[in-house]
Amino acid sequence: MVVLYVLDVPEFRPIVETVEAGQTCVITRSPEGYYRIESPTEIILNRRQMKMKPAVWYGLFTGGMNGEIAEFNRDEVRVVGTNKPL
Amino acid sequence: MTQIETDTLHDNAKQDSAYSKNLNYWVGDADIAALRRASQDGALLRLDGVDHTARPTWKLRETVEFYRDILGLPLVHTISARGWGQEGHPDFLHFFFDAGKGATIAFFYYIGTDRPERYTPEDSWFYNSNHTAWSVPTADELNRWKATLEARGLNVSPYIRHEILESIYFTDPNGYPLEITLRLRDVEVVDARDAELTLEAAMQLEDELREAGTRLKDIDTVWRRKGKLVEDLIRRT
Repeated sequence: MVVLYVLDVPEFRPIVETVEAGQTCVITRSPEGYYRIESPTEIILNRRQMKMKPAVWYGLFTGGMNGEIAEFNRDEVRVVGTNKPL
Repeated sequence: MTQIETDTLHDNAKQDSAYSKNLNYWVGDADIAALRRASQDGALLRLDGVDHTARPTWKLRETVEFYRDILGLPLVHTISARGWGQEGHPDFLHFFFDAGKGATIAFFYYIGTDRPERYTPEDSWFYNSNHTAWSVPTADELNRWKATLEARGLNVSPYIRHEILESIYFTDPNGYPLEITLRLRDVEVVDARDAELTLEAAMQLEDELREAGTRLKDIDTVWRRKGKLVEDLIRRT
């Protein structure tokens, strides 16, 4: 299981919109202003697809995550499940 | 021209302060845990924007020409003095360029001194992190700054968007970085709570890892702890 927490602000909303459009994830929004995106396997995000600038891209998971970054380059990131402590 | 009267501030001030007794009032070694919290005395302190920033310069003419003649910021005030009265303090010029909304960009020029080696500018993250970002009100104005400075021959960075800011960077003749920035949106309650959670995650980890004889080494670890804190927050409600 992989979970991303995304603060509901304009600069991070492309994460939610991209996942909604293309991946099999369960997305819920809490009253505190966080989207919770859960995938049974992995979450892959593409910077160009999200039209995200590099300085925002490299802070992509500032909302929090339960997972491990398997790959993170200039244009693509892949987060997989992990047993590492939270 | 009227001037605000502050003599009574001096008269009523606690005169045995560290400053007046020439004690060490630098808090770098202070025990922060021993200081009283704002929440304990109920006194709400708030700032009302920037008055001035100040940095030393060892290039008087270049600095004046850069800020006044190339950037075109009005020189609005200069103090010239025989030190501050302390033994060994060099004579100096302290001058201020208008930065908008009453704020100024200030410099100290210490007459007859040479720049100590440790003040040599570096092109490094650590050095450049010490900067001031000056604001412009619109995207058009940010664009005008970039285009105008480039036309005047300066090297200006590409636009850099940092979440809530769109910025450009350049350096002055001292090697000091300057940032001109446009605020893209207001910060709201959710931003403040998120900010608390991010730093809480990092501080918890720093304490725990230091206790275990190691240290925090990457942001991924912070993001995972943040995930736990946010999950707890969501579950509570």
